[in-house]
Amino acid sequence: MTHPAKAVPLHPGLPGAARGGTLALWAERRIGWLLVTPAVALIVALSIYPLLYSLWVSFVNYDFLVPGHAFVGLRNFAQIIADPIARSALVTTAVLCVLDVGIEFGLGLALALAMERPFRGRGLITSILIIPLFISPVIVGQFFALMLQRPFGPTDYLLGLVLGHPVTIDWLSGFPWNFAALVAADVWQWTPFMFVILLAGLSAIPPEPYEAAQIDGVNPWQGFRYVVWPQLTPMILLAITFRLLDAVKLFDVIFMMTGGGPGTSTYTASFYLYEMGFQHFHLSEATAGSWIFLLLTAVIVGFLVRRLLRAEAV
Amino acid sequence: MAAVTRHHWTGRLRFIFIGFAVICVLAPLYWVAVTSIKPTDDYLASPPVWFPSHPTLVHYRAALFAYRGLQGLSHSATVALGAMVLSVLLGTPMGYSLARFRTGGKHMAMWVLSQRFLPPVAIGLPIFLLYRNYGLYDTQPGLILVYTMMTLPLTVWMMYAYFRQMPRELEDAARVDGCGWLQAFLRVAVPLALPGIAAAAVFAFIAVWTEFFFALILTSRHAFTLPTVFRSFISFQGGQYGESSALAMVSLIPSILLGMLVQRHLVRGLTLGAVRG
Repeated sequence: MTHPAKAVPLHPGLPGAARGGTLALWAERRIGWLLVTPAVALIVALSIYPLLYSLWVSFVNYDFLVPGHAFVGLRNFAQIIADPIARSALVTTAVLCVLDVGIEFGLGLALALAMERPFRGRGLITSILIIPLFISPVIVGQFFALMLQRPFGPTDYLLGLVLGHPVTIDWLSGFPWNFAALVAADVWQWTPFMFVILLAGLSAIPPEPYEAAQIDGVNPWQGFRYVVWPQLTPMILLAITFRLLDAVKLFDVIFMMTGGGPGTSTYTASFYLYEMGFQHFHLSEATAGSWIFLLLTAVIVGFLVRRLLRAEAV
Repeated sequence: MAAVTRHHWTGRLRFIFIGFAVICVLAPLYWVAVTSIKPTDDYLASPPVWFPSHPTLVHYRAALFAYRGLQGLSHSATVALGAMVLSVLLGTPMGYSLARFRTGGKHMAMWVLSQRFLPPVAIGLPIFLLYRNYGLYDTQPGLILVYTMMTLPLTVWMMYAYFRQMPRELEDAARVDGCGWLQAFLRVAVPLALPGIAAAAVFAFIAVWTEFFFALILTSRHAFTLPTVFRSFISFQGGQYGESSALAMVSLIPSILLGMLVQRHLVRGLTLGAVRG
């Protein structure tokens, strides 16, 4: 039983809580938790519960063709760790992430600096530059496949015009061109992400320190390096953190452009686990692998978020 | 004034760079748009045809009907709208609660944020198995639930940030006038937050509209969405350049238009409200 007399002091001077029945009072006192419950329930049902379920699957032999789920201990984990394709997929993921995020950051920062000063048509140009953010990555993969495909894509033809001799590059299946193509697609789509966030960061920096430095005679590079950059650091960390955490999941453009090939050379972690689980239906190995991947991601998340929080505090 | 005095880029070079960036963004869009209206002979021509002399819409018809693009379109619209509404209905109260009552402290907010960074493949596998057991595999309600879960961190955090910067005096006044917290939330805070709610809703819609992985693994013949139709065109083995380009146009035009609508909120949307923009 809830006693009204007990409830009232929680909101001294605010009589709203004193009206209505017992249920209303209970709701009033628990309002914070009542409002979060539906959302938390859904996340628990569709994220926490499946994750625990997958932990169970990773310790048994879960096979559509074999009845029953025999406990196999760490065998699934051992198989994944011993799989050279899994290791190469992890390396590919890391390489693509570093290339993608590095290039996107460089170009995004350059673009943000170029677009910072107002000029006529700046709004329109900003609108054009952010278009890639609203396109499905699958379609972006298809864009680049279409432009790079031999022999009908325009890229080789244009390169031939520029270089003066016919160019036949196997963009989608020849190393290292396939990696260049995958990076190009990701850079095309996500450079605007860096640009938008860094531009917001630049606009929030007060002008006075830079002006003072200029009066003291520093050149533009020094002004950027020693005045702007330090103040932009929290925003840079935030942009890189957010982008990196999405980049490690890279799947769609692989699926559309190379299909992981030739062979398994462009498998990323996500693509490897997809193939394992949904093409070969090695469900237990796939869930074991996804837990390893999850833990690796969590380590990166933990590290980056801690850096981020420290930078924000300064 | 800040902008005028910071000369990071000297005049001409700066505009060459901006112009180059604009061309890079537009070139693939142009190529897809123009391929979608080329007769078949034109897109198999070498050297490439930069603009067809006889534009045609046959590929649109083929993409929508022969490749079931129209069904994918209608499924995508249903699922995106459903997930958008649910996500806002569940996410707004939670964002409000986190902002006003600090429910669950800092950990609750961070826990929701961490959901945003879960690799889809890690939850996709068990959800696939569970959905098969519960009859939710290849159904629209099943897909809507997963997409609601996927977009919740976005709506919760965007609304959390929105309510935090909204003054609470009006809600306090309403409570002095005898409203309970629930009424203060529904009658005072929600109407004031409508612009923020609308922006969060549009971002959720775009996220679902462009999503591929969950749709790929959780649907097949009955609930497939527009992005999964592109599976038919992988590596263009059949040479369906026109059909795939036409379908791409059909899919990207709505999300780009919606994106332009919420451009003002873009920084908040991309950083889940962490940056005000």
